[in-house]
Amino acid sequence: MRRLFDTGLALVCGLALAFLVFPLLAIFLRVTPVELFSQLGNEAAVDALVVSLKTSLIAHAFVLGLGTPAAYLLANRRFRGRAVVVTLVELPLVLPPAVAGIALLAAFGRQGLLGGTLDAIGISIPFTQAAVVLAVLVVASPFYLRAAIAAFEAVDRNLLDASRTLGAGPFRTFLRVALPLAAGGLGAGSTLAFARGLGEFGATIMFAGSLQGRTQTLPLMIYAQLDQDFDVALAVGALLILVSLAVLLAAKFIPSWTSFTSIWLSRSERSISS
Amino acid sequence: MTRALALLLCALAAAAAAGCGSSGGDRLTVFAAASLADVLPQVDPAPGYEFAGSDQLATQIREGAGADVYAAASPRYPAELFAEGLVEQPRVFATNRLVLIVPSGNPAGVRSVPDLAGPGVKLVIGAEGVPAGDYAREALAALGADAVLANVVSEEDDVRGIVSKVALGEADAGFVYTTDAKSVAGEVQVIELPPEAQPQIEYLIAVVKGSARHAAAEAFVQRVLGPGGRSALERDGFGLP
Repeated sequence: MRRLFDTGLALVCGLALAFLVFPLLAIFLRVTPVELFSQLGNEAAVDALVVSLKTSLIAHAFVLGLGTPAAYLLANRRFRGRAVVVTLVELPLVLPPAVAGIALLAAFGRQGLLGGTLDAIGISIPFTQAAVVLAVLVVASPFYLRAAIAAFEAVDRNLLDASRTLGAGPFRTFLRVALPLAAGGLGAGSTLAFARGLGEFGATIMFAGSLQGRTQTLPLMIYAQLDQDFDVALAVGALLILVSLAVLLAAKFIPSWTSFTSIWLSRSERSISS
Repeated sequence: MTRALALLLCALAAAAAAGCGSSGGDRLTVFAAASLADVLPQVDPAPGYEFAGSDQLATQIREGAGADVYAAASPRYPAELFAEGLVEQPRVFATNRLVLIVPSGNPAGVRSVPDLAGPGVKLVIGAEGVPAGDYAREALAALGADAVLANVVSEEDDVRGIVSKVALGEADAGFVYTTDAKSVAGEVQVIELPPEAQPQIEYLIAVVKGSARHAAAEAFVQRVLGPGGRSALERDGFGLP
């Protein structure tokens, strides 16, 4: 009976794996490495790669810069309505990106809530790279916030309290104790959010449109090329798989790397204080 | 016993494939240009419709999507598919006109095509290869107004993307078909193109080869070409061949 169960599990697992991997493999079976490489010389593909990386990196700076303190606060303070706030933060995780796109239009579009105000100070967001950055921010930041809140919550409160009683200020405690201890989780969340941002499509096409060299990101280019030149679409798809795989591998390795550095940091701290 | 389980799994997978793959049993599937989204269901509400850019639909038919009828906003893709042996002889069933639309209120003060070259005007057109986009480029070339293309802020993948961005007031102007302008008449103003810039726009319809519902597909085509189809098309602002 036990053997039967194990065999069954293995079968189901194999089926699931085949289903997930086969379509991705199919892309690489249809695109030769030569074709993939030649796409690096395709002007539109290079433009899309540059737009994608630029907007993702800018958005990611905001995600880390604003998300880390926000997550620290949400993880360490208990206040009325905290559960509501955390749920709101996670809401974009389950929302279709098309909803994010229409919400961004309703808020920042020319006819949107803030459209008149922005227009008055000479700012127009739709169809610009800023619009792409906003779209990426909305869909990607919850991935980081969620992981960061969990990572900060996992930090032993006693260590934070010890740091405070030993005379470190709250900022120093955050920087030298909480941040290194949570680094593994933060790194994993950060890479996931970056990968999700890189793949953003629905909100971008609605809010930022699609123009080569300005707002056309890699996923938008795949969609545009689908009907023009299927081979180009395949090659760009393959390129995006490789980039995403690299990001994911980084996510797998960063936790072990950061836990190593945080041990190292605390050791060097100890040797300094002794 | 293990074998039974394996069989069961295979049966499950096959059932899932069969349940999802047969695209709704006996229902006719019509792939049609986005600009036909209002009129075709009036001609015949029964079939399952998929509306998208004619070029996108052509790609899907090439990749084996289970369409029975293909109705395109340009002769190019039906001709290509016919040459590849994927559809039967395409027939012209309607014509259309390209127009310029601006949001009601006309924030950029566009009165004619040359105004589109003004500083800061946000123009949205179809991407190259999308019929509405190719026709727009043709019209601009005929007017010697290629400079206008510098003000393009987005190249959309089908005509609905253009209509919605102008109707929402996010873009200042867009080139669409007169029939699309009619569907959002309250939200946009229409600017006619000079006759010399008007491209010849023909809609073609064809039965997809190897359709499992061939008789129904042919009947649908006849219906579109017949008096019922013609009066619905005319009512929605299409021209007749």
